[in-house]
Amino acid sequence: MSLLSLQHIQKRYGTYQASNDISFEIPHGKIFGLLGPNGAGKTTLIRMITRILYPDSGTILFNGEQLTDKHTEQTGYMPEERGLYKKMKVGEHLIYLARLKGLTKAEAKEAVQQWLEKFEITGWFNKNIEELSKGMSQKVQFIATVIHNPQLLILDEPFSGLDPINSKLIEEEIRQLSLQGKTIIFSTHRMEQVEEICDEIVLVNGGKKILEGSVKELKQRFKENKFHIAYKGEINDSLLQNLHVITRSNDAVTVQFSEEHHGNDLLKLFVENKVEVTSFNELLPSINEIFIRKVKES
Amino acid sequence: MGKIWIIVQREYITRVKRKSFLITTLLAPLGFLLLITSSVVISTFSQGKTNVAVIDETGLFKDIPLADAEDQSVYFYKIDDDYETLATTLPKQKDAKYDAIILIPRNFDITNPNSAHIACRSTKRLGMVKQEFLKQRIGEAYQQARMKMLNISEAQINEMQQKVSLNFESLGNSKENEGYTTAAAGVGMVMGFAIYISLFFYGTMIMKGVMEEKSNRIVEVLTSSVKPFQLLMGKIVGIGAVGLTQFVLWIVLMMGIQLLALPILGITMAHQSPMGQMGAAEVDPDIAVAVVNSISQLPLLQIALLFPVYFLGGFLLYGSLFAAVGAAMGEDGDQQALMVPVTVPIIISIFIAINVINNPDSSLGFWGSVIPFTSPVVMSALLPFKPSWPQIALSITLLIGGFVLTTYMAARIYRVGILMYGKKVKFKEIARWIFSNK
Repeated sequence: MSLLSLQHIQKRYGTYQASNDISFEIPHGKIFGLLGPNGAGKTTLIRMITRILYPDSGTILFNGEQLTDKHTEQTGYMPEERGLYKKMKVGEHLIYLARLKGLTKAEAKEAVQQWLEKFEITGWFNKNIEELSKGMSQKVQFIATVIHNPQLLILDEPFSGLDPINSKLIEEEIRQLSLQGKTIIFSTHRMEQVEEICDEIVLVNGGKKILEGSVKELKQRFKENKFHIAYKGEINDSLLQNLHVITRSNDAVTVQFSEEHHGNDLLKLFVENKVEVTSFNELLPSINEIFIRKVKES
Repeated sequence: MGKIWIIVQREYITRVKRKSFLITTLLAPLGFLLLITSSVVISTFSQGKTNVAVIDETGLFKDIPLADAEDQSVYFYKIDDDYETLATTLPKQKDAKYDAIILIPRNFDITNPNSAHIACRSTKRLGMVKQEFLKQRIGEAYQQARMKMLNISEAQINEMQQKVSLNFESLGNSKENEGYTTAAAGVGMVMGFAIYISLFFYGTMIMKGVMEEKSNRIVEVLTSSVKPFQLLMGKIVGIGAVGLTQFVLWIVLMMGIQLLALPILGITMAHQSPMGQMGAAEVDPDIAVAVVNSISQLPLLQIALLFPVYFLGGFLLYGSLFAAVGAAMGEDGDQQALMVPVTVPIIISIFIAINVINNPDSSLGFWGSVIPFTSPVVMSALLPFKPSWPQIALSITLLIGGFVLTTYMAARIYRVGILMYGKKVKFKEIARWIFSNK
C-alpha cells in the first residue's frame, strides 16, 4: 500500500487551473521526486498534502485513510521559501515548532537536544536566530522538519544555499531517514540530485501530470539505443556504414542503433570485424534530458 | 485549543521578554508625566509681562480699580499722558515703560458704550489669552463705573454679584448631582480613551506580527502544523495578554508616580494658576469636592465588570481586522490604504464618545453604544452614566455577533493573504476571498 495516494486532484485559483486531474501514488519508504518547471503546480500539490490548501475535488489518502488535520503531525514540511522568527533563540524556536507538531514540552526539549548533538551544534541552543548564517539557519530548519519523527517528509529545494559540506551532511541524513523507513517527497530543479537521490519521480507541468515512474525504469523507457564504444587500432569505414554515427574520434565512436537491435548485436559486429573493443556502454538519457524533452512536448 | 495555547504563550513570552517592552512600559508613564510638566512649564514661561498704560480722557474710571493679573502677566498703570504723543514715541523707545496703551476717548458715552470705541494699541502683538483678560477687566470696570453712576452702592453691587448655584439632579437617580456628572464624564473619557489608544497600539502590533511572519516566510511552516485560524487567534489573544499586562503595570506605575510627583506638580500648578478667573478654568471648590465625593457613587462594580468585556470585545473585533490587513499587505507594507477601513471606525468612535459624555442620553450615544464597531469606545465612555441594562445587553450581544463576524471574515482574508507573495492586493480581491466558497 502507498503511504500517500492522490486521486484526481483538481485545484483552481480563479481562472487559473493549478492542478488538473492529478493522480499518483507515493510508496512507503521511498524517496519520491516531485519535479516540474517553475509555476508547474508543485507547491500547490505540496500545500494540499500538508493541508495548507484543500483540493476542489479529488481524494488524498494517507496510509489508506482520508487525509485529515491529524496527519499533519505525521508530516514534516520544509518549504522552499522558509524562515524563522529572528528574535527567538534556536532552542526555544525548535521546541516551539515541535510542540506545534504535537510533542509535549519535555519530548520536544529532548528531541532538540538529540538533534543538536547529532549535528554537533549543541552550542547553538541559546544562540539568537538572527545571528545565524543562511547555511546555519538551513540546518535549524531541517531539524525543525524532522524533529517530531514524521512518517512523511516533504523537502522543497533542501540544498539551496548550502555549501558542499553541509549539502553532503543533509543528503546523508535524508538517506538515513529513508533507510529508517520514512517516505520523502523531494522537490527540486537540480536534476543531477534527482538522479542521485530519488527512487521514483513524477513530473508535472501546467497543472498536469506528464510523467511518472522509477528513475531506472524511466531511463530505460526513454533510451534511444545509443552506444559508446572505445577500441584500439583502426576500424574499417564499411563497418560503420549501416550505423548512425553521432560522434567519432581516433579510438571511440558513439552510434545510434536501430530499435529492433540489441547492444549484443552491435558488440558482435565489432568483434566479428576483429576490432579490439576496450569499453562498451549503453548511453541512457539523463533525467534532465527526459525532463526537458517531456516539458517541451507538453 | 492546545495549539492555540502554545501560540499564545509564544506571542506573549517573546514580546514581554523583549527590551522594548520594558522600555515602553517604563517610559510611557514618564513620557506622560513629562508631557504634563512641560506643558505647565512652557505655558508659564511663554506668558511674559505686559505693562498696560490706561489713559482715561473721560475721568469716569478715576476711582474704579483695575486689578493686575494674579499670575503677574499683566500690570495696569493709570496715567494722564497725551495719548497721541505716547502712541508715537512708544514704539521708538528701546526700554519702553509700557507695552500697550488703552485709551478711553473723550467722547466715550457711558450710557452707550459702543458710541465710541475704547482702543488698545500694543507694541508687541498680544496673545489671545491676554486680549481676553483685558476685555474682561475693562468690562468689569465699565460695569462698576456704570453702577456707580446709577448710585448703586458697593454693598448692593456685591449683593447682586453673589453666585447662584444650580443643582443638577436626574429624576431617576436622586443621588446624581452636578459633581456626579463631572466625575462620570471624567471617568468615562479616561476609559474611552484607554480603549481607543490600546486598539491602535496593540492592533498595530498584531498587524506587524502578521507581516513579519509573512515576510520571513515562516508562515508556510506554521500553517503546515496549525490551522490559520488557530494562528490568528493565538496571535490576537497573546498580544491582548501583552496589552493587559502593560496596562496593569502602567496603572501601578502611574499610582506610584502620582504619590511621588503630585506634591511637586501641585506646587507648580498652584503657582501657575492661569490668569485669575479666566473663562471656564474657574473651579468652584464646592464642585471640586462634590466631584471627588461623587466618584464613590459611580457604578464601580458595573464598570469593573463591563469595562474588561468591552476592552476584550473591541480587541477581538479590531485585532482580527488588523491581522487581516497585515496578511493582505505586501511584504514591504506599502499598502497603507488597506488600513483605512479599519482605522476610520475607531477614530469615529472617539468623536462619538467625546460628544456622548456631554449628552449621555442622546440617540447618537445610544446607537454609538450598540453598534459593535463603535461600542467598545463609546460604551466605555458611557458606563459611568449608568446606561440601562437592556441597552447593555443589546450592545454586548451585538458586540459578540460583531467579533464573530469580523473574525470569520478576517480568518478568510488571513488564510489566503498570508500565502500570497509578490502581489498587490486590491479591495475587490479581498472581497472575493471573503465570499468565495472555497
